[in-house]
Amino acid sequence: MSSQITLTSSDGVDISVDRTVAERSILIKNMLEDLGDSGEPIPIPNVNEAVLKKVIEWCEHHKNDPVTATDDDDNRRKTTDIDEWDQKFMQVDQEMLFEIILAANYLDIKALLDVGCKTVANMIKGKSPEEIRKTFNIQNDFTPEEEDQIRRENEWAEE
Amino acid sequence: MVMSLDHLPEEILHAILCYLHPRSAAALEQTSRRFKSVTSVPLLWRHYCASHFKSWDRKHDILHKIVAPPSEVNWKALFVLRSETDRAVTRLLDSILASQTGRIEKFRAVIDFGYDAKDTLVRHSEVESGEDYLARRFDSPADVYVHCRSRYYARALLTCLHRSIAVPEWAKLRRGEPVSLERALGAFDLFIPESGYGDLDEIKHTLDDLVIQYQAADPESRTLTPRQQALSLSSWLRDHDLTGIEIGREYHALEHNFLGLALNSQGHNSLPLISAAIYCYVAREIGLNAHPCGFPFHVHVIVTPNPGFDMNGEALSGGEIGTPMYLDPFRGARETPLADLRDQLVFLGASETEQAAFLGPSQTSEIVQRCSRNIWTSIDSASQGAPGHTSSVDVVSAKYASLWSSMLLTGNSRPMDLRHHLPLLMELFATDFPSDIFLVEQYIVPLFQGLFEHEHILESLHVMRAVDEIPKQVRRRTGENQNIRFMVGQVFRHRRYHYRAIITGWDRECGAGEQWMRRMGIDRLQAGRHQSFYHVLSLTTFRVEDGSVRYVAEENIDLILPVLSDLPTGLTSIAGKHFKRWDEESRAFVSNMRDEYPDN
Repeated sequence: MSSQITLTSSDGVDISVDRTVAERSILIKNMLEDLGDSGEPIPIPNVNEAVLKKVIEWCEHHKNDPVTATDDDDNRRKTTDIDEWDQKFMQVDQEMLFEIILAANYLDIKALLDVGCKTVANMIKGKSPEEIRKTFNIQNDFTPEEEDQIRRENEWAEE
Repeated sequence: MVMSLDHLPEEILHAILCYLHPRSAAALEQTSRRFKSVTSVPLLWRHYCASHFKSWDRKHDILHKIVAPPSEVNWKALFVLRSETDRAVTRLLDSILASQTGRIEKFRAVIDFGYDAKDTLVRHSEVESGEDYLARRFDSPADVYVHCRSRYYARALLTCLHRSIAVPEWAKLRRGEPVSLERALGAFDLFIPESGYGDLDEIKHTLDDLVIQYQAADPESRTLTPRQQALSLSSWLRDHDLTGIEIGREYHALEHNFLGLALNSQGHNSLPLISAAIYCYVAREIGLNAHPCGFPFHVHVIVTPNPGFDMNGEALSGGEIGTPMYLDPFRGARETPLADLRDQLVFLGASETEQAAFLGPSQTSEIVQRCSRNIWTSIDSASQGAPGHTSSVDVVSAKYASLWSSMLLTGNSRPMDLRHHLPLLMELFATDFPSDIFLVEQYIVPLFQGLFEHEHILESLHVMRAVDEIPKQVRRRTGENQNIRFMVGQVFRHRRYHYRAIITGWDRECGAGEQWMRRMGIDRLQAGRHQSFYHVLSLTTFRVEDGSVRYVAEENIDLILPVLSDLPTGLTSIAGKHFKRWDEESRAFVSNMRDEYPDN
């Protein structure tokens, strides 16, 4: 019973999507199960149209993936390898990347959240503190004394 | 508002950090206050500790820490400590490889880290496993043996670490302190790398799993009488092939002597002694009073009823002690009638008092000594007959375990036995396990207090240390050494005795003592004693792994240029003592004794 449902983004745009695709989101899946499909649009108040479309694109591509909701943490965290399609999918500006991560978190799409986290992890990997600041535009708000002390505390991590 | 990394909630940042190496967490920590607070969460560092380090020294009491609230433990400090240990151990290993001098103190420094050193040693010893090496050796000849030396010493230290856990258990038994049977027998497993155990608790856990399986399989057993319980357990163990030996296997095979190995291996084959130990552990956990019984030739199990009851659970009048029952878990479920056991003892000519001793529960120390003798018997029977049967257990390590246990448990009351074992133990220690010098000093030396060997042992240990501390004399191939023909690392065939060997060192002329030269008839050689002599490692002995060390005159050396596949495969483990790798081009080993032979 592949019916269509409608999602309303935070900026008020209705988007029509296959129910099976939308159900990659555990939040939507539970909502549909609890409330029944009334045919009414489902409001997604935290996600704007651009991000929601992107998330749906991901769900479309992964609609036939086995559900890995019970995937245990250890297995998941072993590697930061990302499959090719997902890598391409994640080639977006930083703002969009973080929006996707937040949306995946809110909509409870574990696999997408993992891909997002891995993408960010790969951006941090192997970088010095200064390089990380540059990459993510982080403001250094330490006093010089504090900075010095923290650097000394972390000398163990230097190659 | 522009979205940035800063806006992600803490739990998502935590998830990202879990994908990263702790080094990156340390880098992120230094970027700003927000990230300093995010990366300082104890839970994160607990995750890093758990995912990066498997073995923990006892002093950390890690099992207790893991269940404590994360904030009560300084997980980051612990992680930093372990990373620093890892580096220190790696540095020590490098330095052991770089120089032949001062190794004993370096061994000691590694062993002093206890189980904190283990992860590092395991990593270095697995750099390239035996199979990999075989499979890869033709793919990339340059890689072959690259790591053979670091692997050799990492393995040596790893097994030394295991023995330093095992030996104190037997020492405790010797002092009369209580040691459970599974620990006392498990100590043998720690001597042999093949058991796969690195810790006595692991063996206990395996046994505990058996208890759980049995209880799940037979939930009714609680309602049975003690006798029925005892029999039901025995048949369950036998039915699941957890005790006894499969038909057609060599009874005395060395691997049947090890508790941990029997529990872990496919067919769970074990001698009666080990079968009885497995039975007794499970039996006690389900409330039976079971002990191995020291019956000659074949260890049985004696189960005694609780005071005031008999084995059928009936109450006895007035403090009477019920009659025990006997079982043979090695054979299976049937009770062994006491009369049968008595008949056998009478047949053997045992006196009344001896009979009582043979039929009573055995002390743990007796069982250990018996196991030690069984191992010896297995080694003997393997070397005498059954060609083609190669043991899956390293014979030298097993022999060494047997010597240690019997010496520690023999006691000063029988100095003859101690004396009998000493030369063998010292020889094995010096050639195969020199990193055990601390164990020998701590546990073997005191056994000889007051005996005349005491001075001798101290003297040999002293010599070992002295030799270890002297920098190797540099031997260059100039001046009077320029006519030495062969190089360290070359392989040859002995012209008279035809064995193959690798050259590990040379002298301009025979450097052995007068007595040795006379005994070997050196002056009857064509060029006599005034020719170059070579220290060599023989390849074609009965057991390749213990390749004996010999001293050969130049005229007896017939250089050969083998390809690596011609050489015995067990070679890597010993070649690692002296060589960095095999060089396919020159068909020789590449020496790593540059401090002694800079020109090879």
